[in-house]
Amino acid sequence: MTTPVISLSGISKYFGTLAANRDIHLNVHGGRIHALLGENGAGKSTLMSVLAGRYQPDDGSIALHGREMRFTSPAQALESGIGMVYQRFMLIESMTVTENLLLAAQKKIGGSNCRRLISETAEQYGLAIDPDKYVYELSMGERQRVEIVKLLLLDADVLIFDEPTAVLTPVEIDAFFTVLKKLRSADKAIIFITHKLEEVLELADDISIMRKGRVIISTEADRKQISKRQLARLMVGRDVVLRVNKEEIPPGETVLRLRNFSGADVHGTTRFENIDFEVRRGEIFAIIGVAGNGQSGLVSAIAGLTRADSGEVSFAGSTFNAREWAKAPKDDMAYVPEDRYHTGCVGSMSIAENFALTQIGKYRKGATKLALDWQKMSEDGTRAVEEFKIKAQSAQDTAQSLSGGNLQKVILSRELSRNPKLFIAEQPTQGLDISATEEIWQALLKCRERAGVLLVTGDLKEVLSLSDRIGVIFNGRLLDIIDATDSDQIGRVGLLMAGVTS
Amino acid sequence: MMEDIVFIGQIAIKSSVAVLLATIGEIITERGGVLNLGVEGMMIVGALAGFAAGFATGNPYLAIAAGAMAGGALSLIHAFFTIKLRSNQVLCGLALTILGLGLANFLGRPLIGEAGVRIRAFAVPYLSEIPYLGEIFFQQSPYAYGAYILGPLAWYVMFKTRAGLVLRAVGEDAAAADAAGVNVAATRTIAIWVGGLFSGLAGSYLSLSYTPGWKETMTGGQGWIAIAMVIFCTWNPLRAFWGALLFGGLTALQFFFQATSIDIIPAYVLKMLPYLLTIGVLVLVTSSGKRRRSASPADLGVPFSRES
Ligand SMILES: Nc1ncnc2c1ncn2[C@@H]1O[C@H](COP(=O)(O)OP(=O)(O)O)[C@@H](O)[C@H]1O
Ligand SMILES: [Mg+2]
Repeated sequence: MTTPVISLSGISKYFGTLAANRDIHLNVHGGRIHALLGENGAGKSTLMSVLAGRYQPDDGSIALHGREMRFTSPAQALESGIGMVYQRFMLIESMTVTENLLLAAQKKIGGSNCRRLISETAEQYGLAIDPDKYVYELSMGERQRVEIVKLLLLDADVLIFDEPTAVLTPVEIDAFFTVLKKLRSADKAIIFITHKLEEVLELADDISIMRKGRVIISTEADRKQISKRQLARLMVGRDVVLRVNKEEIPPGETVLRLRNFSGADVHGTTRFENIDFEVRRGEIFAIIGVAGNGQSGLVSAIAGLTRADSGEVSFAGSTFNAREWAKAPKDDMAYVPEDRYHTGCVGSMSIAENFALTQIGKYRKGATKLALDWQKMSEDGTRAVEEFKIKAQSAQDTAQSLSGGNLQKVILSRELSRNPKLFIAEQPTQGLDISATEEIWQALLKCRERAGVLLVTGDLKEVLSLSDRIGVIFNGRLLDIIDATDSDQIGRVGLLMAGVTS
Repeated sequence: MMEDIVFIGQIAIKSSVAVLLATIGEIITERGGVLNLGVEGMMIVGALAGFAAGFATGNPYLAIAAGAMAGGALSLIHAFFTIKLRSNQVLCGLALTILGLGLANFLGRPLIGEAGVRIRAFAVPYLSEIPYLGEIFFQQSPYAYGAYILGPLAWYVMFKTRAGLVLRAVGEDAAAADAAGVNVAATRTIAIWVGGLFSGLAGSYLSLSYTPGWKETMTGGQGWIAIAMVIFCTWNPLRAFWGALLFGGLTALQFFFQATSIDIIPAYVLKMLPYLLTIGVLVLVTSSGKRRRSASPADLGVPFSRES
């Protein structure tokens, strides 16, 4: 092969004492798609941030076209043609697309012909964008296109994508892959971080797998020889079952029923309108949709965090109108919120304290019931840590010191221990790696034996693996409810998510 | 009647210049994402330095420059602590005010009662002859004319130029600006420094033009009013004129009522009004989700670091 465009040698990066990257060697070639695969926390984002100039390596060197480089800022890396689309898009939401592009590429596109340059670049790679829209008005797919155009305007010839498909609809993912292929034909070097194996097998020319801060294997992708199973084993370090074992359970009584439920979204602009569905004991009812289609407002109104405007809720035998529902007691309802770091826990408090938070009544003691039984709290916390295999030194560790997967296990086990009739899980495995996902899925399936589960997610695979019935939400409306066992209909879910109804 | 209105108008402008300049400066700083509560401190230091330089050299230009530079110098302390050391911006700003007040009080003692340079009002040819309006707006201190120009200039730079785009980007989302190749630390340092220059200038107006002389209480809380005004005018330098005029107008009414011993509204109520209005506007601005987006810079008060 030709000389690599990028050659990393011996890169190490520490955060305090934690080695996020250890002695990493990696070659990336022009005109090829290089997939960087690994579990959460393997160090993929850190490594790429080093390459893109955002972080300084503690050791090792970066060579670009064989010449050694040192980047002390993203600006310098960009100047040398290395650009990165971060997992969290780096766009300024209160500014327009043009302003964002000007901010990054003033020297290249400044002046009167800036609009023409933007639209030319966009068209060349099939990246339709409206330059006058504000970024907060754009869907995640559109934002991603703006990010790509930004890098192209800067003449980047190494493009790094950090988990680019995590926020996209299936239709948007296809469009994105088409763009990637065009970039590849234009001889760009593309690095593509993911932990989704299908994507790797579909696209990658080269594959590197990271585990615990090291690159454990770096190889050309030969589609005939590598199987999903092998990749998964390399990534996790052991065999993983990607299918869940779901037993048949006959559905029981209805625990939650919504009628004509309408209200505002929590932050976005999409209201949810006239939502009707029911959740029965023994089933997992999934609401799937791309983020920003009204589901966050819907869930927070169901959980009683916000008040819906109209409609009716029946829960565990009683019926409430929208107003009454916000104040109604919800002891029999458990809620695992999407934002596990802020809504789901108090970061600076210990695991044991967090564990007690939503069931504080259990720990009151003394004649006045004003004191708390710290002893019992700490015992229960310790038990949960053991039972759910939460990786922490003790139940006294703070919640914020846990990784995403372990924190999610704390929250999930807390809510499960309340023995709810309805269990609401919002994006329960978002950003988690295969093994944590697997454990969370098992827990949800187990929960279904005793309660009704309402699963709200954007992850198609999660829905297909877990749910019994699937409601697709688009633009604030529940477009259809599909039986998960109906193999003719199930293919429509992806289309419905994109608003295609016919 | 008309005479009264012109009188009130003139006093209103006169009393609003310092607040206006300081507000414009603080808007620039906050648009860059840094809250500097040290305005009062920078103003009093600017007032002292301006007066002292004028007293020593007799040169009004040097006096004005010294006032601005002193405010700028003090602001760099804020820059060092909040950007380099990433200390808490609120605490650091408060400390700056206390430091400035103490420093000015201590160093200014020998100057109390001395007479220094005086920058007098002058009438702008032609413009000042416009009936009523000319008298109100164009028979003022050169500082006022400076403010008439600096406000729109700040607006133009902020919203129409590359520098302004960078400034706002850093205030809205420092991480995104950084990824786009902007030097966040440098931009913020400059924003703080320019804010300091404005505050110092505002202070020197008080000691050279508004009430020429040196008194350690001469800022009288105007720095705090300026900070409130920033919110009142939703971080827009053009709206700063309205905020400052409102403050000046209320001050002028106090004078007017005192001078004519008419007492329709008690002076204390008038003094309270700018604060009450600010609270009211703040409620209005933040209660509507859509407008909130354009109001406060999203990263205001948030220190930036790549590795966290
Ligand atoms: N800014 C940071 N400060 C401290 N630790 C960090 C920081 N960023 C990442 N880490 C830690 O470094 C490790 C690797 O993280 P990351 O590169 O984000 O992994 P990946 O992208 O593969 O999921 C993780 O253990 C993570 O907790
Ligand atoms: Mg990552």
